[in-house]
Amino acid sequence: MFESLVPSAAPLLAAAAAESSATSGVINLVPLLLVLPLAGFVFTALFGRRIGRFAFVVPLFLIVATWAIAMVVVYEALSGGFGEHGAGITLWTWIPAGAFQVEMGLYVDQLTACLLIVVTTIGMLVHLYSVGYMAHDPGRWRFFAYLNLFMFSMLLLVLGDSWLSVFAAWELVGLSSYLLIGFWYPKRSAALAAKKAFIVNRVGDVGFALGIMLIWVSTGTLDIRASFELIAGLDQATIAAIALLVFCGAVGKSAQFPLHVWLPDAMEGPTPVSALIHAATMVNAGVYLIARANPIFAEVPGVMVVVASVGIFTSILAASIAFTQTDIKRVLAYSTLSQLGLMFAALGVGAFTAAIFHLMAHGFFKGLLFLGSGSVIHAVHEEQDMNNMGGLHRKIPVTHWTMLIGTLAIAGIPPLAGFFSKDEILAESFKLGFYGVWAIGFVVAGMTAFYMWRLMGKTFYGQPSEYVRSIWDRIHESTPTMTAPLVLLAIPSALLGIFLGTPLGDSRIAHWLEPVFAASEETLYPDKAPYELFGVDGVLILTSVGIATVGLVVGIWLFGAFRRAGKPARVQAMTNANGATRFLYRASLNKWWFDDLNHLLFIVIGGRVAGAMWWFDRTVVDGTVNGVGRLTVDAGRGLRRVQTGRVQNYALGIAVGLIVMTGAYLLIAAR
Amino acid sequence: MSQSLDAYLVLAGILFAVGSFGFLARRNAISMLMSIELMLNAVNLVIVAFGAFVPELNVDASVIALMVMAVAAAEATVGLAIVMAIYRNRRTPLVDEYDAMRQ
Repeated sequence: MFESLVPSAAPLLAAAAAESSATSGVINLVPLLLVLPLAGFVFTALFGRRIGRFAFVVPLFLIVATWAIAMVVVYEALSGGFGEHGAGITLWTWIPAGAFQVEMGLYVDQLTACLLIVVTTIGMLVHLYSVGYMAHDPGRWRFFAYLNLFMFSMLLLVLGDSWLSVFAAWELVGLSSYLLIGFWYPKRSAALAAKKAFIVNRVGDVGFALGIMLIWVSTGTLDIRASFELIAGLDQATIAAIALLVFCGAVGKSAQFPLHVWLPDAMEGPTPVSALIHAATMVNAGVYLIARANPIFAEVPGVMVVVASVGIFTSILAASIAFTQTDIKRVLAYSTLSQLGLMFAALGVGAFTAAIFHLMAHGFFKGLLFLGSGSVIHAVHEEQDMNNMGGLHRKIPVTHWTMLIGTLAIAGIPPLAGFFSKDEILAESFKLGFYGVWAIGFVVAGMTAFYMWRLMGKTFYGQPSEYVRSIWDRIHESTPTMTAPLVLLAIPSALLGIFLGTPLGDSRIAHWLEPVFAASEETLYPDKAPYELFGVDGVLILTSVGIATVGLVVGIWLFGAFRRAGKPARVQAMTNANGATRFLYRASLNKWWFDDLNHLLFIVIGGRVAGAMWWFDRTVVDGTVNGVGRLTVDAGRGLRRVQTGRVQNYALGIAVGLIVMTGAYLLIAAR
Repeated sequence: MSQSLDAYLVLAGILFAVGSFGFLARRNAISMLMSIELMLNAVNLVIVAFGAFVPELNVDASVIALMVMAVAAAEATVGLAIVMAIYRNRRTPLVDEYDAMRQ
């Protein structure tokens, strides 16, 4: 019945299958990337509690193995072993239902390889870190089981080659996030935060699901590569609708405005969770989705403008909130929001390579910063408020120096990673004519440098707070299982930029990702100016480094560095200077009242609407149903009175009936 | 023999009415059976009266009347048997005390 409604994509799939059979055998290792974490999850979930203290051994080992295999696959993909457009492997037919055919297949190309690097490396380091961080937690076996489940879901998301498997992995990642945020579920705020994350994600997922349905209806296939070729032939309105709906999903998962509210609250989860999921991997899923779907977006520049606007708005909104937050993890959460916004701005502007570059660099240095903050929290015995820290730089040196590297990286100081990626985003927006995006991004770069140094200053420098002085002798550096990942992450934070981003204008990562994005860049910008190191590009580099330096200098002046103390009185004076600054301070502290707005709209007003619906359900619907029942019962009760049980009443009935019938007959016969 | 059919019909009507009233108003089951017999006799009278006054029905009327009498006898027997069975069970011949099927 549906064959006639939906165009058939069978020929395209057959062609795709034919071309993939002529690639290297490494592709057969790819299913292992999914099987190993899944096995780790099942094993730890079933036996973890009984194994007790050593529950981490199997999951950790399996993730290290996954990382090793991933590195082999990545090398093969990036060196061209899979062909220019990557290779796929079909595992089995998932849904064979006549016209609706969905295969379970995996696909690896250069974009997948970049994501695999980030996901598996940071996943492995977080697993290692968690051994130390969760050492005293009795529920540790659950933690490792959930971490493995998350790795499985994220890898399926990145490797899947049909929209349906991406969506399934999308949901699984959301589930893992819920389980991990709410890991300490007896704590009410953690349980609420987990629910909030899941529900807000779901809002975005509705859009994504609608987008996938629209893809199916208009192209007849759910295979990603086949759908790209068919989508190019549709009318603008449909393509725009698909793009917008897919973007909805990305907004939810990557916490862009207005669905950004879940990410700061997600800091209730243990710090390794924040590092893995909410800095380095899950929130990148939205960026990956849009990068993967770039052929669709390239057809509708209007939607790309929407993407860029939402991204850059989120970026500056989050940066403004990070100015006043006192919880060390919240500052990093808002920083993540801000950097994700920059990535979406890059995607919207058409600088896909820059967005992926920033995704990779950000994954490493944000992961580093989060794990470092976890180390700090551990050192000061579970205190998270920065106002109660200070002067720690000599007590926890490894943590301090690695976090310093991370801070400089995120601020965009050359030659660290953040400089290359962020500069590329800003430069591309300027050169492609998006001056607004460049201007806001420029301001955000300065703000980022400032609030990150504020974090460093308040945590590590100046005079220790009273609380710190009271526990001074108990502060110690973390165990090697925790500091080793910090050092291992500091290396790419420092060097990844040089490795991937040079030579300038013709970078290695641009070469890697060229086959993936070339067609879209042709469609959008057929005549792009070449790179001019001593022209426009050079000036842009100087300006972005300049604003980052300004941000850092102001930060150092107000919050100190090393022995030099900060100036809390000065800060206080500045925020109280006049009505405007006081308002800005309060707005920033209250997260621009978005949580209150959501509370008003959905809890209060939504609650009233729900109450009205409940009244309607109780009174009208239930009333009708119950009324029918009551009517039946009452009628029955009434009619039952005819059955008196007395023979004479029945005889009377017979007599009366006889008279009536005879009379009626005679009357009718008389007519 | 009266010359008018009406006399027989009126008599039969009165008998039937008396029988009906007895059937409806008596408490004793045997009395109700007797009233039923009275009604059946009234009906027989009507049949025979028509048989006498209408030449074409002469033969048929007698046959019908005999059949009615046979059926009445059978039915009275069965009814009496039922009443006796209930009497043995309930110990009372009064029909308004038979209330086992009432609520």
